[in-house]
Amino acid sequence: MRWHQGLLVGVVALTLSACAGGQVRGADRSPQPAADTTAPTAQTTQNAQTTPAAQANDKTFVYAPNLDVVTDWDPATSYSNEIIAMANIYESLTRYNAQTQKAEPKLATEWTASADGKEWTFKLREGVTFHTGKPLTAEVAKQAIERTIKLNGGAAYIWAPVKTIAAPDPLTLTFSLKYAAPLDLVASSGYASYIYDPDGVSPDGDKDGGSGPYTIDQWAKGKETELTLKAYDGYWGGWKPEQYRKVAFRVTEQVNTAWQLLQSGEVSFVPRLNPQLFQQASGTQGVQTASTPSFQNLLLLFNTEKLDPEVRQALQHAIDYDGLVAALKGAGVKASGLVPPGLLGHTPGKEPVYDMDKAHELLQKRGFGVDGTELELSLTYAQGDDDQKLLVTLLTSALKKVNVTVKAKPMQWSAQWDQGKKGGQDIFVMYWYPDYADAYSWFYNMFRTEKETSFNLSYLKDKEIDKLIAGLPALTAVDQVKAHEAYADLQRRILDEQAAAAVPYVQTYQRALGADVKGYVDNPAYPNVVFFYDVTSP
Amino acid sequence: MRRLGAFLLALIVLASLAAPWLAPYPEDAVDPLSSLLPPSPEHWFGTDQAGRDIFSRVLYGGQTSLLIAIAVLGSSALVGVALGMTAGYAGGWLRDVIMRVTDIFLAFPALLLSVALAVVLDPTVTTVIVAIAATWWPWYARLSMSVAASVSTRPYVDAARCLGVPAPLIVVRHVLPNSLTPVLVQLSLDAGGVILTAAALSYLGLGAQDPIAEWGLMVEQGQSLISTNWWVVTFPGLAIVLTAFAFNVLGEGLRNALDPRRTVIK
Repeated sequence: MRWHQGLLVGVVALTLSACAGGQVRGADRSPQPAADTTAPTAQTTQNAQTTPAAQANDKTFVYAPNLDVVTDWDPATSYSNEIIAMANIYESLTRYNAQTQKAEPKLATEWTASADGKEWTFKLREGVTFHTGKPLTAEVAKQAIERTIKLNGGAAYIWAPVKTIAAPDPLTLTFSLKYAAPLDLVASSGYASYIYDPDGVSPDGDKDGGSGPYTIDQWAKGKETELTLKAYDGYWGGWKPEQYRKVAFRVTEQVNTAWQLLQSGEVSFVPRLNPQLFQQASGTQGVQTASTPSFQNLLLLFNTEKLDPEVRQALQHAIDYDGLVAALKGAGVKASGLVPPGLLGHTPGKEPVYDMDKAHELLQKRGFGVDGTELELSLTYAQGDDDQKLLVTLLTSALKKVNVTVKAKPMQWSAQWDQGKKGGQDIFVMYWYPDYADAYSWFYNMFRTEKETSFNLSYLKDKEIDKLIAGLPALTAVDQVKAHEAYADLQRRILDEQAAAAVPYVQTYQRALGADVKGYVDNPAYPNVVFFYDVTSP
Repeated sequence: MRRLGAFLLALIVLASLAAPWLAPYPEDAVDPLSSLLPPSPEHWFGTDQAGRDIFSRVLYGGQTSLLIAIAVLGSSALVGVALGMTAGYAGGWLRDVIMRVTDIFLAFPALLLSVALAVVLDPTVTTVIVAIAATWWPWYARLSMSVAASVSTRPYVDAARCLGVPAPLIVVRHVLPNSLTPVLVQLSLDAGGVILTAAALSYLGLGAQDPIAEWGLMVEQGQSLISTNWWVVTFPGLAIVLTAFAFNVLGEGLRNALDPRRTVIK
């Protein structure tokens, strides 16, 4: 029975030394890494002074993700962490600009839509070649999109409005749609919108079919430096001496380790620190920080099949929204409705209110509450996510006072999702962000009737709501005022009438990067992505 | 040293039991607006992310840890000693069967087996108790088997047997009382180990869950803050270290006092 003495040494070391803290958030889909995105309001602190180690970097940009870098090398089906690498290897027809809130030219230089929003014509950029050497033509672009639609994996649903694609000449790509949709926004999606040479796609990561500024140098799954990228000399945008020609991804699970590596100049960019380290980073020499509102919000989805509407409304009132945001210390802002600011459909002035008296009154109506029957609720959330844990702690504590016991279970994302698909909990906690900069994704995925549950984890089935959701893409394409009204109406129905969910806050991305990195702009439409081509080192 | 261990342990046990009176705040009283306050006269050990008073939670956490230790050691000793006594006294094929089963359990690294069990079951304090007890009893079975086998050959046991006393009665009346000392010493030595293992399981997210105050869980919750808010992880960590230390010193002292071969002649 001596083995426990070793354990004692371990615990002492644990206590007195300083291990770190994993801010792991689920890898796939929505509970995607917590992360951070940044963009417009970026409050950037520069504490100049490049560290010697950073100078020795020889223009390699080192990104320190906390999870695997690549889970799927196919640009058609990729739908996870690899967005950071893929967005630098592959390009789409357009790219969303978070400042102007519009799609901007990328592989397409200009585009037009018919008045009814059903016919779209994109003019392709001249002189673009893929990393395979093949030139970009409308025919190749057509093949790529058709392949993505055919494989129907990941976010391929974004192309759902497309009826036919044609390539009338080598630099013109036309789309006929089944119903009106904002195709320029669709084409800017972080997933499934890439234009690629299908012949270059390899699941082994030994080659790629992209046209972006970087190409795969080496990929070693499971290694600390999992992936390195190198400049593609034939890139249509050309190269300047101050740009990074090499990029490395150094997987660093522990946030404290990432912070130390950043200080020593061994990494250039840490996508997420905890708020306390972020505060420390703001006053540290050799490090700069950027804080930007994201399109990622936290949701509590209430089981509409099991819980009465009054109970769901009570739950909405039992969340200490202001307290939660205060305890997040800058890592989030109070939400107003389902749609984050910066997206069409955002409804200001709809901030939720913490009111335990109201919560108790609602519970009493159903025979629960202090003088009623004890109510036991099951809740699942992401294991290792400190912010979700904080929410759960506050909610559990508040509900205990009104005779409601919350059985909270932290789970790995895949297990949590599997259980959710079987309707196995009362409250499901997760993050959501859109695949392209449009609010449609929240409604289409989470609140539309599903025969087999995927992301409708509140199990809401409401024909009126379904009808309104179905009309959103067309309205967005042809009449934005009406689209905005439809989004507001939907949020009223889902949050106020159905009380199918609660939205406590929208995450604020908090990045830390080496002081020698210039020109970094966080784009919340592409969570965690650094467009390496756009940053420089003097 | 033995006295130091006993004193320290008594202090920890008393403080934990008196938590409802000693703790300035309820263990789960959240106050997000007071999140992560450093130690101060209002919050002796500071506050955690949810604004809970760490001093209060350390006191309440002691209750959880001691409960786990008592439950694990009690159940392990009960099962282990019963099987060990039976094997040691009966001998023959029964001993072989019991000991081979014990060996199978001993073949697994204890923490690994606990983790495996805790993963299968839901993460609760009960899970921690079951998972650790499942790996702990074989040690007592083996220890009491060897002691019982030796005691069984003593003349007074032979005499009882010749007088026709039934075997179960011989085991309970004669073998058990004379075999207990090494088991008791081992129990006190193991208490620290159980608390550390429970802390390790909770640290891995497989044990007690929020809002229950448990030292291992509190360390886990504070680990990412160690360089910025040291108090969150340090105080529950120190509580684990001190309790394990107290139990180990006490156990070592007891062993020296009760084992004549280890008695120091002055």
